[in-house]
Amino acid sequence: MSGLEATVSASEGAPPDLRAKRSWRGVKSGTMTWLMMASVVCVALPLFAVLWAVLGRGFEIAFHGFPAFFVKEIPTVARRAGPGMGPAILGTLLVTGAATIIAVPVGVLGAVYLHEYGVNNRFARLVRFMSTVMSGVPSIVMGLFIYVVWTLRFGYSAFGGSLALACLMLPVVLGSTEQMLRLVPHHLREASYALGTSKSRTILTVVLPAALPGIVSGSLLAVARAAGETAPLLFAVGAANEFNPHLFEQANTALSIQIFGNATSSFVAAQDRAWGAALTLVLLTFVITLMARAFTAHVARRR
Amino acid sequence: MHDLRGNRQFADRTFRWAAAGAATLVLLILGLIAITITRRSAPVLREMGTHFFTTTRWSPADRLFGALPFIWGTAFTALIALLIAVPVSLGMALFMTQVAPPRLKKPMVYLMDLLAGVPSVVFGLWGVLVLSQHFNLGRSFLTAGIILAVMIIPIIASLSREVIETTPPGDKEGALALGATRWEMICAAVFPHSAGGLVGAVMLGLGRAMGETIAAALVIGSSLGQITANPWASGNSMPAVIANEWGEADELHKSALIALALTLFVITIAVNLIATGIVQRSMKRARGL
Amino acid sequence: MRTRSTSSFALASVGAFLLLALLALLAPPYATAAGVSLNGSGSTLSKPYQEVAIEEFKKLNKGSTINYGGGGSGKGRQDLADMVVDFAGSDSPYKEADLAKVKGGEVLYFPILLGPITVSFNIPGVDSLQLSPGSIAQIFQRDIKKWNDKAIVADNPGAKLPDLDIVVAHRADGSGTTQNFTEYLNAAAKGLWKLKSGSTVEWPSDTQAGQGNGGVAQIVKSTKGAIGYVDLSDAKASGLKYARIKNLAGKFVEPTAAAASAAGDGIDIKGNLLFSALNAKGVKSYPLTCQTWVVVYAKQKDHAKGEALKAYLKFLVQDGQKLLGEIDYAPLPKALQERAAKQLDKLKVP
Repeated sequence: MSGLEATVSASEGAPPDLRAKRSWRGVKSGTMTWLMMASVVCVALPLFAVLWAVLGRGFEIAFHGFPAFFVKEIPTVARRAGPGMGPAILGTLLVTGAATIIAVPVGVLGAVYLHEYGVNNRFARLVRFMSTVMSGVPSIVMGLFIYVVWTLRFGYSAFGGSLALACLMLPVVLGSTEQMLRLVPHHLREASYALGTSKSRTILTVVLPAALPGIVSGSLLAVARAAGETAPLLFAVGAANEFNPHLFEQANTALSIQIFGNATSSFVAAQDRAWGAALTLVLLTFVITLMARAFTAHVARRR
Repeated sequence: MHDLRGNRQFADRTFRWAAAGAATLVLLILGLIAITITRRSAPVLREMGTHFFTTTRWSPADRLFGALPFIWGTAFTALIALLIAVPVSLGMALFMTQVAPPRLKKPMVYLMDLLAGVPSVVFGLWGVLVLSQHFNLGRSFLTAGIILAVMIIPIIASLSREVIETTPPGDKEGALALGATRWEMICAAVFPHSAGGLVGAVMLGLGRAMGETIAAALVIGSSLGQITANPWASGNSMPAVIANEWGEADELHKSALIALALTLFVITIAVNLIATGIVQRSMKRARGL
Repeated sequence: MRTRSTSSFALASVGAFLLLALLALLAPPYATAAGVSLNGSGSTLSKPYQEVAIEEFKKLNKGSTINYGGGGSGKGRQDLADMVVDFAGSDSPYKEADLAKVKGGEVLYFPILLGPITVSFNIPGVDSLQLSPGSIAQIFQRDIKKWNDKAIVADNPGAKLPDLDIVVAHRADGSGTTQNFTEYLNAAAKGLWKLKSGSTVEWPSDTQAGQGNGGVAQIVKSTKGAIGYVDLSDAKASGLKYARIKNLAGKFVEPTAAAASAAGDGIDIKGNLLFSALNAKGVKSYPLTCQTWVVVYAKQKDHAKGEALKAYLKFLVQDGQKLLGEIDYAPLPKALQERAAKQLDKLKVP
């Protein structure tokens, strides 16, 4: 460090003016600190700009005449002003809900295998590696995969979208559950075995309940991400305008699909609905993320 | 007495097999994805060979498919996104860990996580209806790069924060005790320690930026793609092409789009794996393992 | 040891409650459609008509569900060929080579409207513009790069055009609008237009693309100096200004529904109801008038769907035509409406 060198060289000659050197270093450090604060502003600005735009442009249509926007059908004629986005909300809940029901049990069971049975054998290490690979698959690749494997055979349906989302959620649930299982203290298991309980029983009645809040938290974060996905749904779900509560039949729609479709519309009415749908989606994701954080806090407090 | 052992062993073994089955499912799905994508790419790769990756013309009508402009577009927009996102995310992470008072830090972390959850399609909507119009940026590599940057900042910032926080306080205090200013302490204690992890965080952000479809497709300008270093030019990227041209594509064209997906797949996986490896190794070293 | 954190659980339960409430709100309108469901995709040019037609049709036939997804003529033709939809909207017919890949057999074309395609522009300070096909061709293939080029000035005697760069906007997706636009340039700007015609064209690389007619409209609206081809309905909805184009008779005509109807008179219609309204004769004709069809399989597989399809098609070509005026499209000439209605007999329902 320059200050140190200055001190050292001071012993060899005329005493240097450390004050001058220090003020330059101080200025440099101060400038960098200001730059850091500037970067916080740079981050905050666009992110708040986006949220501001969503809130500002979506609030009117989403909450005017509540709950019209959430229950009315999507107007068939795009140029007509007014609500709603009901079918899209139902679609998002259906598709995401079904995906969760598929992905979470498989992910939790898989993580159970990895941590309790396989631990570090070759198979477990392979699965962990492949799970990391799978978490990096771009969502559009997943969408194409589901199109080829499912949509071409069975047509557009909400379930195709659920399959695509489940594939995206699986590695996330797997990874976070395994992490949570690792945190369960080993003596809990040992105490259970000492009482004569079988391994499966121990896992089901001791380990999983202990890890439950963390598992729920990790799964909720996966759900939040899945709810916002667009690309995979475009290839699997279709574009209906009406309520379709059937999971397996007929095309459906979702909030993300509607936002994407209306983003390029010339009609201000359609754009307004896109903002309303964006607000709904953002609120939905926020609620889910907050719930996940609540469970994480619970875990942290317990430990 | 009823022999409970038999039943219990059966239940136990069934559970174990179920769990193993679930784990195998990961391998099966990934394998199926790889096989399906590769098989469907075969027709166009057979027709074009390696020229698929080096030709610059993409003309479905002439059965000529050159992926190079789109590979360039993906790389270029990701580069622009990184150039914007990395300094800002690092600055933010450093602020959160070194400068901010503890009371400020917790809400900032909370906020960052919340913002990371905003779906990409909402960013795309904002980009096309607000950014593109109000700032007269039009559709270009730059607009797409900006949107991607905004999307990956939370990822890079939160991961960098985690890495920076593993810096041993002893190193930091030692530097300060020797008279270092805050910035000098960061350069001397934080950076050398976290370098690997930070690189990993940046690469994870890169992976996300490259695979992002929707937001980019809406604002990149998607002409037939040109290879130019001019950020104000309009261009195209692999995911955007796939999303835009899929609907009307015939067999060979679809095969070409799937081949693009395969290319994207391979590149993003490679980046993600390298990044995860670097971050994990850095964290392990930090914990003294 | 294990203390329940009341606040975090409270938060979690509130969240769960809100989600359930949302679900409950949606429960009542689950009116399950008792009728049949038809799906279509394709031309965005005809989307505005499909939308109002579906709305009217549903009022007359309660319980039926029809979804039209748009996505471009290319997508419509491909979806129909793959049998993923029941009907396709397309601004141009299948190419010979593609007909072989159509899975369901013979197809029938039902024309439904005539629509003007505008050449919309965004030049600050300029409210009206006249263009000849030669200028249009040169602008879109980037031979002319500035608004004050002599060719454009020649088309607009007396007008003051700025020294502004031209930004060309076109379609990113496979589009019948693109196909008709380029076919027009092929015919009207013979020799000058080099990019050929098709639903996707190799545009010069320094141009911008948008999705759907709406996407192109957005680019033109937000970019100074932009020019793009957009159907009249979307152009009007976006508040765009559009040019008067020189037709075959040498007159500069504005795109209106009336001018499109004028183009429709006297067109040559083939037996399978295919025709082209582009570059039509007549002093009042708008030269960039586009036609669009609903394409279906002659042999239907499902009885209920087939009947519903027949009813919807009948509505589109006859009773629905009166809806076209207020969305800035032109109805088909009466003779063509009758021929289309008669072609319905060729639709075989099991």
